Amino acid sequence: MNGNIYHNRKAQWVAYVAVFVLLALVPTVFDNPFTLNQLARYSVFALLAVSVSLIWGFGGILSLGQGIAFGLASYGMGMTMQMQFQNPEYDPIPSFMLTNELETLPLLWEPFLSTPVGLILTILVPTGFFVIFGILMFQARVAGVFVAIMTLAMLAAWYSMAYDMQPFTAGFNGISPPLPLQIFGGEVDPYSPLAYWICVGVLATLTLATKALLHTKFGLIVQAIRDDAERARFLGYNVAYYQVVVFAISGFLAAWAGLCWVMIVQYVSPTSMEIAFSISMVVWAAVGGRASLLGAIIGAFMVNGIQSYLGDELQQVWMLILGAIFIGVVLFLPRGIAGLLELILSKVPFGRGPSGAQWSAETGTEEKAS
Amino acid sequence: MSVHDFWTPFSLLPFLNALIIGISLASIWLIAALGLAIIYGTMGVINMAHGELIMLGAYTTYVFQSLVGVPFLICLPLAFFVVAAIGWVIERGVIRTLYTRPLDTLLATWGLSLILIQSVRLIFGGEPQYVGVPSWLNFQIDASFVHLSGLRLFIVLMAIILVTLTWYILYRTTLGIRVRAVMQDKEMAASFGIDANRVYSLTFAYGAGLAGAAGAMFGALKTLFPDMGSAYVVEAFLVVVVGGIGLIGSVFSSALLGELNSVFSYFTNDTFARFVLFTLVVVFLRFRPQGIISEGMGRR
Amino acid sequence: MTSVLELKGVTRAFNDYIAVNGFDLTVNEGELRCLLGPNGAGKTTSLDLITGRQKLTSGSVHLRGNDITHMSEQQIARQGVGRKFQVPAVFKELSVKDNFEVAFTRERGPFANMAVMRRSDGEARYNEIIEIVGLGDRLEVPAGLLSHGETQWLEIGMVLMQDPSLLLMDEPTAGMTEQETAKTSDIFNELKGTHTLIVVEHDMSFVREIADIITVMHMGSLLAEGTISEIENNSVVREVYLGSEGIS
Repeated sequence: MNGNIYHNRKAQWVAYVAVFVLLALVPTVFDNPFTLNQLARYSVFALLAVSVSLIWGFGGILSLGQGIAFGLASYGMGMTMQMQFQNPEYDPIPSFMLTNELETLPLLWEPFLSTPVGLILTILVPTGFFVIFGILMFQARVAGVFVAIMTLAMLAAWYSMAYDMQPFTAGFNGISPPLPLQIFGGEVDPYSPLAYWICVGVLATLTLATKALLHTKFGLIVQAIRDDAERARFLGYNVAYYQVVVFAISGFLAAWAGLCWVMIVQYVSPTSMEIAFSISMVVWAAVGGRASLLGAIIGAFMVNGIQSYLGDELQQVWMLILGAIFIGVVLFLPRGIAGLLELILSKVPFGRGPSGAQWSAETGTEEKAS
Repeated sequence: MSVHDFWTPFSLLPFLNALIIGISLASIWLIAALGLAIIYGTMGVINMAHGELIMLGAYTTYVFQSLVGVPFLICLPLAFFVVAAIGWVIERGVIRTLYTRPLDTLLATWGLSLILIQSVRLIFGGEPQYVGVPSWLNFQIDASFVHLSGLRLFIVLMAIILVTLTWYILYRTTLGIRVRAVMQDKEMAASFGIDANRVYSLTFAYGAGLAGAAGAMFGALKTLFPDMGSAYVVEAFLVVVVGGIGLIGSVFSSALLGELNSVFSYFTNDTFARFVLFTLVVVFLRFRPQGIISEGMGRR
Repeated sequence: MTSVLELKGVTRAFNDYIAVNGFDLTVNEGELRCLLGPNGAGKTTSLDLITGRQKLTSGSVHLRGNDITHMSEQQIARQGVGRKFQVPAVFKELSVKDNFEVAFTRERGPFANMAVMRRSDGEARYNEIIEIVGLGDRLEVPAGLLSHGETQWLEIGMVLMQDPSLLLMDEPTAGMTEQETAKTSDIFNELKGTHTLIVVEHDMSFVREIADIITVMHMGSLLAEGTISEIENNSVVREVYLGSEGIS
């Protein structure tokens, strides 16, 4: 136990669980379907921010390509839902393919005729891609800004594929599955509390699992590699292996976000792989606090919440505000809202041990608690 | 597009024309990347707002040409100086405090790009604007396999001029010697009385100015939108990382990437070519990471 | 006596510059070897070559008879070579305790370590280490907030946590105050005999405190080898290394 409650592990778990319980209780208070759907969308964004926080805040790898996993999963989910509407016997081909002169279902989408296979591939393909991409980068010891550029280039490459391969992806128009997700004999209405609970449930489960993972020695080593990759290598750790694993996990999280996203919007288009969207995920994590999963979640809810509830007048200047906030956070508050909270809580006496002042906002990380 | 005509078979004359288009493309990417390469090479700063500096150059040209009536050829240096001045302010205001944090610089400059896009949108509106192509560039070369507009030819020439000019400044002036000294060893340069901060400000301003000049040309080539910069920035980054530090690297890599893109486009189509090219670059960086490994050997 | 480390004709050439040239070195069990030489003599490069940070142009490196010449950094570390860097390298945002914990490397793979809850195994071991290097009252402090001397000791402690059979120490007293240097020489004298060490150092008074045998390098090659008094009286060494300054 030490001087700042922010670093107390029990307190952290309590805070995490409290936030998720609060989120889960929302439908009992608001039953406006539009609000619920909106909040479900924020939960998806929050999960993306968590994936950025993991790879960047804890892994020290700035990936601007989280949209690759999100987008691939979105297309997987979109086609899974689309194929639920098609009949394998007499109507196996979605209409957008027919208008693009396809006469048979492409082999690529064949497995998506089965919903379970489709769902599994929706998660597995993006994660697998991140494994391969990660091996490519980290074995060559690419680091720092070059990871950022390479992930950006890869994202741009996938974006143009999604945009261009019209017969397979419906190009710019995107795929709009006619029906909500049919599963376990029922359907998931995007505006229902059920859909909301699924999104919040996925967010809570994956966030808590990630947090638990960061508390293992694996998590400690990942952070050590962030601080000094070479030192870790000379202690005998295969740095590239760790980086690939943590990169793949971040892709896995983003893939789940893609799955949930299409479930609640019933639509997928190349915008899911736009560069600006992927960088926005980084903004959410940065504003909330890259070195705190909960901070990243709060950042995502806050930035998107503010954006939605600004009037049309202010919508005009929203990008100005966002840009300014972002520069301000980078310059003056590199640990975001979570760092600010840490600083405030360090003034509050708690427990024994060295005084909280030693854990300044610049040096403390959330996972350091004992 | 249907799958059947996805692959264009080889035939000589159109293929030669594709090579010519490749040169034109390479000159555009080189002009877009030049400023970025100099800023990155000297300061290690990845400027995500580079595309927006190009955009500002285009709008500057639009303002001078359409609203003031300045001839296009004069607009080029004007765009250079206006955007250089903006770059100088950006370096002083934001970049300066972040030299030891390259990843944060990348993010802060992205925040900056949002502000620049939105400011321009507020001032000029979101609808497209146009930069008029001067009449003396309004010709088209159509001789056997060569199909090239006067403007594109002009851009190729400008690429040569700008590279030569930059080479001259870097290698033939005292300012250039200072820049290269800071590039090699900041501390050592400081001990010889070179003010690194001043060199950084000037370098950033010069790099921004080049983006401005690029914008003037791209404005003539395409329509102006507040977010037109994003169309160039990824390619410009790739030219820089593939080329590594140095002018020759950028020239060579833009030529390579431009030609490859053009050849792939010839056989398939533009977007698929982009996918193949970007993937190739990522694989290339995997196997030739020289100059892109961030853990310097001399660090310890 | 068994040799722990054996370098044979180790050479590292850059295009037209030979940093290390046919360097031979044998270090025996329990020995503390000091590596001396002017700047650019190839000392740190030699450590780089032993630990796999740079690749040899020719020659071979054997650790307890095993050829480690072509192994990667992490493989060599796993063979039991620990290294402290010239510029101290610690995990700045982690606490001192966590730095020790990371250095305690019983499991190396990511998946194996996902099953290891933290602060379970390393504790007994770092209690022994802080007996040697101190820092017992600084365990909760982020390593980035330690003083320069403390950072050096932390890194020495981390290398010890690895329980290596060979320790390479690159300028362990660089930037230390006199008291800190004195404490550091106590640490080394305690390690001597039970551990095998190679220490690269400039501070002659420190070298006198700790050294058994000294190896002097010059222009990438072996210049002289012997006890402290032999080296101090060696005229060639005086000429090229100690020069006009003499041994202070």
